[in-house]
Amino acid sequence: MYVLSPVTDRVAAIREKYRTAKPSICTARYRIVTDYYRENPQLQGILKRAKNFLNICERLPVLVNPNEVIVGWQATRYRACALYPEISFGWFLDELAAGTIPKRDTDPYDISDEDTRYLLETGDYWRKESLSAKVDEYIPLGYFGAAGSGVTYFGTTGTCTSPTGHFVANFETALHRGFGAIRAEAEEKMSELEGRMYGNGAERYNFYRAVTIVSEGMIILSRRYAEECARQAALETDPARKAELLEMADSLGWIMANPCRSFHDAIQCMFLYQIGLCLDAQQHGISFGRVDQYLAPFYEADLAAGRITPERAQELLDLFYLKVAEMNKIWPYFATLSGPGYTSGQLMTLGGVTRDGRDATNPVTFMMLQSSGRLLLHDPPQSLRIHKGTPPELWDAAIETTRIAGGVPTFQNDDVIIPALMARGLPLESARNYCLIGCVEPQGCGDEWACPGGNGTESFFNLLNAFLLAINDGHNPMPAPDGSRGGRVGLPTGYLYEMETFDEVLDAVRQQIEYFVGWHISLVNTWEMVASEHMQLPLLSATVDGCMESGRDVMKGGARYNSTGNAAIAIGNIADSLAVVKHLVYEERSVSARELYDAIMADWEGHEELRQRILNEAPHYGNDNPDVDCFARWATDVYGDAVNAATGPRGRWAAGLFPVTAHVLFGMSTAASPDGRKAGTPLSDGISPVQQMDRSGPTATLRSVSVIDQKKFSNGTLLNMRFHPTALASESGKEKLIALIRTYFDLGGMEMQFNIVSADTLRRAQEVPEDYRDLVVRIAGFSAYFVELYRASQEDIIRRTELNL
Amino acid sequence: MAKELTGKVYDIQGFSIQDGPGIRTTVFFKGCPLTCPWCHSPESQSFAPQLSWLAARCIGIDTCGRCLPLCPRGALSPGERVQRPGTGEEIRLVRIDRSSCDVCGACARGCYPKALEICGTDYTLDDLLARVLRDRPFYENSGGGVTVSGGEPLCQPKFVLPFLEKLKEAGIHTALDTTGHVPADVVQGALAHTDLFLYDIKQMDGALHRAATGVSNERILDNARLIAAGGGKIQIRVPVIPEFNDSDAAIREIGVFCLSLGAAVEMVQLLPYHNLGVVKYQRIENRGKVLEAVPPSEARMHELVALLKSLGLDATLH
Ligand code: SF4
Ligand code: SF4
Repeated sequence: MYVLSPVTDRVAAIREKYRTAKPSICTARYRIVTDYYRENPQLQGILKRAKNFLNICERLPVLVNPNEVIVGWQATRYRACALYPEISFGWFLDELAAGTIPKRDTDPYDISDEDTRYLLETGDYWRKESLSAKVDEYIPLGYFGAAGSGVTYFGTTGTCTSPTGHFVANFETALHRGFGAIRAEAEEKMSELEGRMYGNGAERYNFYRAVTIVSEGMIILSRRYAEECARQAALETDPARKAELLEMADSLGWIMANPCRSFHDAIQCMFLYQIGLCLDAQQHGISFGRVDQYLAPFYEADLAAGRITPERAQELLDLFYLKVAEMNKIWPYFATLSGPGYTSGQLMTLGGVTRDGRDATNPVTFMMLQSSGRLLLHDPPQSLRIHKGTPPELWDAAIETTRIAGGVPTFQNDDVIIPALMARGLPLESARNYCLIGCVEPQGCGDEWACPGGNGTESFFNLLNAFLLAINDGHNPMPAPDGSRGGRVGLPTGYLYEMETFDEVLDAVRQQIEYFVGWHISLVNTWEMVASEHMQLPLLSATVDGCMESGRDVMKGGARYNSTGNAAIAIGNIADSLAVVKHLVYEERSVSARELYDAIMADWEGHEELRQRILNEAPHYGNDNPDVDCFARWATDVYGDAVNAATGPRGRWAAGLFPVTAHVLFGMSTAASPDGRKAGTPLSDGISPVQQMDRSGPTATLRSVSVIDQKKFSNGTLLNMRFHPTALASESGKEKLIALIRTYFDLGGMEMQFNIVSADTLRRAQEVPEDYRDLVVRIAGFSAYFVELYRASQEDIIRRTELNL
Repeated sequence: MAKELTGKVYDIQGFSIQDGPGIRTTVFFKGCPLTCPWCHSPESQSFAPQLSWLAARCIGIDTCGRCLPLCPRGALSPGERVQRPGTGEEIRLVRIDRSSCDVCGACARGCYPKALEICGTDYTLDDLLARVLRDRPFYENSGGGVTVSGGEPLCQPKFVLPFLEKLKEAGIHTALDTTGHVPADVVQGALAHTDLFLYDIKQMDGALHRAATGVSNERILDNARLIAAGGGKIQIRVPVIPEFNDSDAAIREIGVFCLSLGAAVEMVQLLPYHNLGVVKYQRIENRGKVLEAVPPSEARMHELVALLKSLGLDATLH
């Protein structure tokens, strides 16, 4: 059986510090970047970005905290975040001026008065200089008539609140070759082009020039950390720490310029490169890729040579995880509402198969699960790749980790994902080497620019609103915040009560989905055009396969493989809504189209009886009922086929079905729907059934969601399942959960993750029973809906839940 | 034309993981000859359908009230005012006059939130089979199958025996959760189609058994011997009930009996008494005996498991 070993005192101390330190805002990066941008208006494009990064590497104070072995930071204080005004800054200035940032109820940040004053004095410069402002200038004229649909969420101002992000570097290149070799290669390419810049030669020359500059930046940053370690070593009185600091100085002085020599070098190089990428591009779903695959060769060589013990290696990994957990970035308040917890989405991938198709499990795979399980951190998130040959011990360790760490790792199905990636153009070897980005997005690890969030800014597609527009003649039924209702934003497809057959309804919905997919893609392609001028990523492109050969940045299509991702939300809601309309209005004819239409326009006010009937008597997706599951399939096919057929500047688009947390946020601005949902309440999550509507247990839910043709969604699907921990406590319970995942994967499922019910969840269910009607607890053969039990029984179950964890 | 054969079922549970090996679907048949006061599914006891009422689901007669005019016998009337948990909104519930109610189900059909429900649904063999076979891929991957439970499923032998037979024909692993208090020929009939018996033994002392459950244990013990002699496989289940069978002596006697059945007994499971099901008594206003006692401690349960193990039995906690 899989067991967790205790952490060292040093790790425990840092973990405690992490848990108690309140995040704050650091202006060091902001100051450096603002001065640089102001002083260098003559620089544009990739050179501006490359020199900006070098300048940061030369000036940003270096921070080596007590007890740390793995170092690197983007700010001047522990757990502080940096600011990235180049992307978007307006929302931040507004919140800062309102004084809400230190006081807000989700993810507050401390900030000094002096920094606040300085930012307010200087910040306006960025209102016009940020990427978001630049993108706003390029909004297509026709879109002014389609904005406000609530299908695609782009407005006409403040378009980019989040950066592109969502990528993974080729860490193997960074570890095995180093930036010294990369710089030398770029210099060679430049000398070949000197005096011979024909065709697009000048552009390529500039790309290589940028690569030499950012490589220099990485090497300088590392050396400055080496010097700081040496400085602290000279002052250190504890001989053990002194030796350790010297070892750190040695490693930092070597890596980046040279290939890594040891496990310690490799972890340090990986983390410092990640810090570099974040300093350059703002951390936003910047993922680590297949960490176990990169690290195992170093670990095994050290072990064989007697240079490291397993305990020391595990401690180094723990310290690395604590550094990643410490990283955070400030989000707009409205975004934290749906995803609080200072998350930064630096996903790590483990397990799966190797490029030649063998099981890829290695000792580091287990060490990574150990770190998650014993540190109980919310970050980094981890994704475990599952295939037919995943060893039982790894299953065991993963299920135990998910039970204690509450849903880490997520489970991904190689058997669906690899063919899906091949269908979008990756060759077999590269598809086998995929990793997950951000949340659940599969991508070639180190050779693909898949841009799963879309270029310029992250975006989602609300299928339910496409449905609402379809039955409302192209008008969004949700009033604007000021109460006003805008004009028609979609196609004039008529009103529900004018449609004589259900086929007319389907046709109207199809038209609206395809119309808005067209707009959505047009807009993201436009943002890419703008962002690829102003926000190229030479530090990333320096390692991603294909860029050095082609002499082009990833943003310009330099990577070996290219695609652009999108994700739809509200699958459960649109399926249920279509089923209600079909069965009640066109088949049973027990409700007239007019009555149903009026009920949702009135947000069910005065129609509670109908709403109750729909909630409780109509068929709902998620209960293995083909009469309604077919609509989840239909709607996702319409959306998926439209997206997959589209192209962007660098190649094809790839559809996905996941919300991150957008289902809560977008639900706030989505009107009532025929599935009984009230206006403003959350949409369904990922491909999961509508909340409270999966009443037939997990096997029925899994059969329903398998009806969706998931291999069509190479940008990822997400299925969240809630389990009470007692279901997983016994060995046989774990085996049954494994069989459950396996069966779902056999049925064509792509991804599955668990939401392990905690005592806190149960307390919340006592307070808001409405939101937890479907929460099943199983205790010793007894299973019941938690909210329907007597208070005393609920208390008993809460106590048992606490004991079990 | 003869009326098609049906079975009376009060619940079907998918992803059932406590009733036999692997992932299972458990079908709960209605009606039981025993009346154990610790029963946590009292709705299983009566053979007749019952009107079940769950106040937590009622949205109140002022918002809804659909049930009131639907009752042809005037059995429903406005009831007490309560605060809904969560919203805090004050609503007026429904009062059921059980003596006037003939369980016609009219109110339940009109009650969308399912505060009023008829407990007990008739299934035909084909419908029930189709329903449980949908989860076949899960059974196959987990070594699971279908568990037939109750109530006492063997009280509906005309339906349950062919149901088990058809499951076996379909290649499904079958488990039968039974009290054993049924005629021997019925048990004999089940033997051929049952891969595993989940068999309750509650007390070896016949008088104590009768006092608590309403029936003697003679037939139960005889049928266990019959299964063992007939080559059946048995998992013995013992609900551990305070002051009824939680003494070392009582458990030891059960253990000795299990040993006497020989290799047929694969495992003995001890199920600690709990009172989480007490809400269900209210739902059907079962005014029968309900045991409200302090559940045995975990330490005590482990002692009892150890005791059975010391006899050479494979014993576990459920
Ligand atoms: S119909 Fe149901 S929800 Fe409505 S008042 Fe009657 S019991 Fe309550
Ligand atoms: S089951 Fe029939 S008789 Fe009984 S309360 Fe309901 S409607 Fe009235």
